[in-house]
Amino acid sequence: MFVSLNWIKDFVDLPAKTKPQELADALTIKTAEVEGVLDQAKNFENIVTGQVVSLNPHPNADKLKIAQTSIGKETVQIVCGGENLKEGMYVAVAKIGAKVRWHGEGDLVTMEKAKIRGEESYGMICASNEIGLDNPEEGPRDIADLSALKPQPGTPLAQLLKKDDFILEFDNKTLTNRPDLWGHYGIAREVAAISGGKFTEHAPQVRMPEKGQKVDVRVENHDLCPRYCGLIIEGITVEQSPDWMKERLRATGHGTHNNIVDITNYIMTELGQPMHAFDQKNIEGGIVVRTAKKGEKITTLDGKDHNLKEDMLVIADHKRPVAVAGVMGGENSEINEKTTTIILEAANFNAASVRRTSTTLGIRTDSVQRFEKSLDPFLPLLAMQRAAQLVLELCPNAKITGPITDIKKFNEKPLVLSLDIKKAKSKIGVDIADKEIEKILKALDFKVETHPEIWKVTVPSHRSSKDVTIEDDLVEEIVRIYGYDNIPAILPSLPTKLPLENAERFKKHRVRELLSYSLGFSEAYNYSFYGEKDLKNCLMKETGHIKLLNYLSEDQTHLRTTLIPNILKNTQENLKYAPELRLYEIGRSYKEIGEFMPLEEKLISGVIAKKGRTDNPFYEAKGVVEAYLKKFNISANQAPEVENTPYAHPIKCLSYLAKNGETLAKIFMIHPQVSKNYDLDKYSVALFEINFTQAQKFEEEQAKYQETPRFPSIELDISVLIPRNTENATLKDAINKANTHLIQSIQLFDIYQGENIGPDKKAMAYKVTLQAKDRTLTDEEMTQVQQKIFKNLEALGGEIRGK
Amino acid sequence: MKDKLKKLEATALPAIDKAKTPQQLQELSVKYLGRKGELTAILRTLKDLPADKKPEAGQLSNKTKQALEAAFSKKEQELSTAAVDQELKKDFFDTTLPGKTPPQGHIHPLSQLQEEIEQIFSKMGFAIMDGPEVEAEYYNFEGLNIPKDHPARDMQDTFFIDKEDHKKFGRLVLRTHTSPVQVRTMEKYGAPLRIIVPGRTFRYEATDASHDTTFYQVEGLLIDKDISLAHLKGVMAEMLGAVFGKPVTVRFRPGYFPFVEPGLEVDFSCLLCDGKGCKVCKGLGWVEFMGAGMVHENVLKAGGIDSKEYQGWAFGFGLTRLAMMRHKITDIRLLSNGDTRFINQF
Repeated sequence: MFVSLNWIKDFVDLPAKTKPQELADALTIKTAEVEGVLDQAKNFENIVTGQVVSLNPHPNADKLKIAQTSIGKETVQIVCGGENLKEGMYVAVAKIGAKVRWHGEGDLVTMEKAKIRGEESYGMICASNEIGLDNPEEGPRDIADLSALKPQPGTPLAQLLKKDDFILEFDNKTLTNRPDLWGHYGIAREVAAISGGKFTEHAPQVRMPEKGQKVDVRVENHDLCPRYCGLIIEGITVEQSPDWMKERLRATGHGTHNNIVDITNYIMTELGQPMHAFDQKNIEGGIVVRTAKKGEKITTLDGKDHNLKEDMLVIADHKRPVAVAGVMGGENSEINEKTTTIILEAANFNAASVRRTSTTLGIRTDSVQRFEKSLDPFLPLLAMQRAAQLVLELCPNAKITGPITDIKKFNEKPLVLSLDIKKAKSKIGVDIADKEIEKILKALDFKVETHPEIWKVTVPSHRSSKDVTIEDDLVEEIVRIYGYDNIPAILPSLPTKLPLENAERFKKHRVRELLSYSLGFSEAYNYSFYGEKDLKNCLMKETGHIKLLNYLSEDQTHLRTTLIPNILKNTQENLKYAPELRLYEIGRSYKEIGEFMPLEEKLISGVIAKKGRTDNPFYEAKGVVEAYLKKFNISANQAPEVENTPYAHPIKCLSYLAKNGETLAKIFMIHPQVSKNYDLDKYSVALFEINFTQAQKFEEEQAKYQETPRFPSIELDISVLIPRNTENATLKDAINKANTHLIQSIQLFDIYQGENIGPDKKAMAYKVTLQAKDRTLTDEEMTQVQQKIFKNLEALGGEIRGK
Repeated sequence: MKDKLKKLEATALPAIDKAKTPQQLQELSVKYLGRKGELTAILRTLKDLPADKKPEAGQLSNKTKQALEAAFSKKEQELSTAAVDQELKKDFFDTTLPGKTPPQGHIHPLSQLQEEIEQIFSKMGFAIMDGPEVEAEYYNFEGLNIPKDHPARDMQDTFFIDKEDHKKFGRLVLRTHTSPVQVRTMEKYGAPLRIIVPGRTFRYEATDASHDTTFYQVEGLLIDKDISLAHLKGVMAEMLGAVFGKPVTVRFRPGYFPFVEPGLEVDFSCLLCDGKGCKVCKGLGWVEFMGAGMVHENVLKAGGIDSKEYQGWAFGFGLTRLAMMRHKITDIRLLSNGDTRFINQF
């Protein structure tokens, strides 16, 4: 929103030395954000008035002339092509350094000394559109004629044209809770409170007739229209608005139309109260404020047709809707140059209703922007008086036909709040003097009744309509005007108890350290969604998924139940430029479980991808899961299968189950079909999924110390040739059974398959460690165990190598 | 005998000193101290001396033996040191070859920052809380004093879940902020309360370099009997100072959020220009950072806390934004595309 400082000054006496930027900064800190300050004179820097002393033809160009132009103390030579240029004419001269827009088009250009067709030119005699002015009567090859004003040559143009205003641009978002700040009057009140300048109440002097023709108004829905004021003025001449009004409207970002429409916009910009004017001859019977009837239509001022819904409030005459209340007027009752009698409307409409209607119809106007903030229901009457004053001023023949029609039904009793003064100070954190608090509140138009503990504060109607309704709202008024910058930074004293521990969060960070810093994985973050294509690519079904009602793209339609699809996409992308990948993500899955709230579990999932055909990634992934289980003391049983994991290889897979059968982790090679779907055929891809939420429940106590062995151990190397389909676990089991007391560990250190041992065989080599707690083992004992191991392995069809 | 010993010493000691190699020294050792060596030969004659001369002769010959042995030992040391020195001089070693590190992974920058923030707040006595990401409308809006028709609901474009409404809790949404955890935590633990909630949040809005559907926020809540805005300023200055590693000034401006009153916009002094105004802060000297304020009485009420007895503040800032500022990340989408060329820079 654009706010004119000169307009503000209509209502507040600002100290003369007030700098606009400083005022803007103060408003930002205490009221609402001012995003910028525009100095109007800045556009007219180095542009002065001049008078053409003599005019001669240009020797080298037919359409150009050489004008000796007085610009005050000096006279300069300027080459100019203006068709209307005459000797003695008063003109606008852009001196060297001025910024102009050539022929009113393109970017601003800085004037430099130039030679035009061989003749020197010290600046430019400007057309209106070249210096941001607007003169519709000026011909396309004319320059601006200031002769009517007869200005002293050398006068800065800004001064002559009264371009001495500063425009403050407010960030509208920061005004959403302040209905009172959507007009200059309200901002002026705020400026007065901040600067200490005197605020002048608006009291337009208009004599309203006590009798005569008044608007016939019927309000059918008082909830949606708590107040409706109407007034008839006749003898109107619709024409251009005077320059001062156009100037103010333009400066604050409004277009200009005609005097009547401009007046309604002027009132809205001044007081924040939207108004509307109807051409009386198009209003049949009188005004009815009602909700739309089924099937009713309206063509709004912008020429668009709208179907109205039954919950929308309209302003109608006795036949048809003539405006969408608070949103936009109808074309059928628009003011035009033939209008002679107008009905002025100043009303208060329900904010939510206006907002809803505006959203449904897709119409956003300055009026909606204000009504949706909950305007002060006392404002329409003031606005109507001010509008009448302006109409009479602009149309000397105009006459008010009768009294203002004022239909109202709202709580007129002012809001009185209690203010616990001690508590207010304790919330602010500063012991502000009572006197100062009182002064602040009064400056903002609150009435204050002080008491030792609980004050009584009466809220002005322009604040109680929305943003000041509870005691804490008063605290805000006090602290913002007192100054947030006057609040010191203090640390709260520490509580006497340690904060509640969030073990899960803590462990998550430890998991990251394990995976990233010990095991060489990088951590990815992915979105919580995927799409149907991902489901298909991962051979998954839609069952159990939660779907979004509104989504932004087809690949973000379902909430993930597993992190794998997105990790596979990461894999596909990363392998375009990296030879291999170790990547993980810690994130939530969301599952439909037949209750209102879905099940959210935290998962740790990762990928190991290498070029070529190898099962190594599987075993590396297994190592990762085991490192995790070991670090957090989780004991789990292995099972050679995975459930509900369609994207897993059906054989190359493994689960870790808790005692109660709950799956804590899965490791698997990617399903060959899925591998194809993600263009990963040339890679060997292993994945792991750890259910972090579940696994935590099975953590056991910290490891207990076990005495270090005092007697030496003996190591046996055993290599066995065995049918290829014998599992490692079977062999280890057979070895272990040889002597469960003495065997301390069995480590597989080599697997060999090759033609020389036959395609159905493999050689497995183990290092077996024997040790007794109470003695040094003898050779005899060792041999006994060894023989037993041999026997057990041979029983499995094994052939001991090098026996 | 005395003379013999003297003579031996006089020839042996210089000879030892002149030895150039360990072999020469070995030969000399054999020559003098070996079984057939010269000194040994002299010593053998000891037993033939008369008994009264034996002690003196014994002493003398021992002295000579010790002198020779000391000389050998010293020379041996000398030669050994020289040999090592000689060997070292020949050696070549390239310290400029690259170092070898075991494969290193990387923790995502958001995780790193999140842990830092958690630790900073833990030190100030804050507990870390969690809440559901798929949230009920009640906790995301109504419980936070944002009723149905409230314009603030527009500002928080919301993802809705395709599921039937709940009579009490309304529709299911993806939480648009971490604030719903405020009411949930109040309900569960009551007052006093001192928590932060770092977490994933969602907005239904078109993505570009600075907007994404998914981002991270940190919610803070401090409720006790005498908590003031001055404490909020203190805690924020402390936190930002710790994150950026230098003192940071915090500025409050009026702001409007339905769940706080008074409501604040919190800025911090631009770290690039120290508040003088630069491109990053758009010449303002301040960087907009977060919304905050004193918890609205309706929110306390929704959480079952008596606003007559307890008061406090809440804040919510963008962890994602802070990470982007800290690392000068220019596109928010880099944070969630799993590209290791990005992740591995941190």
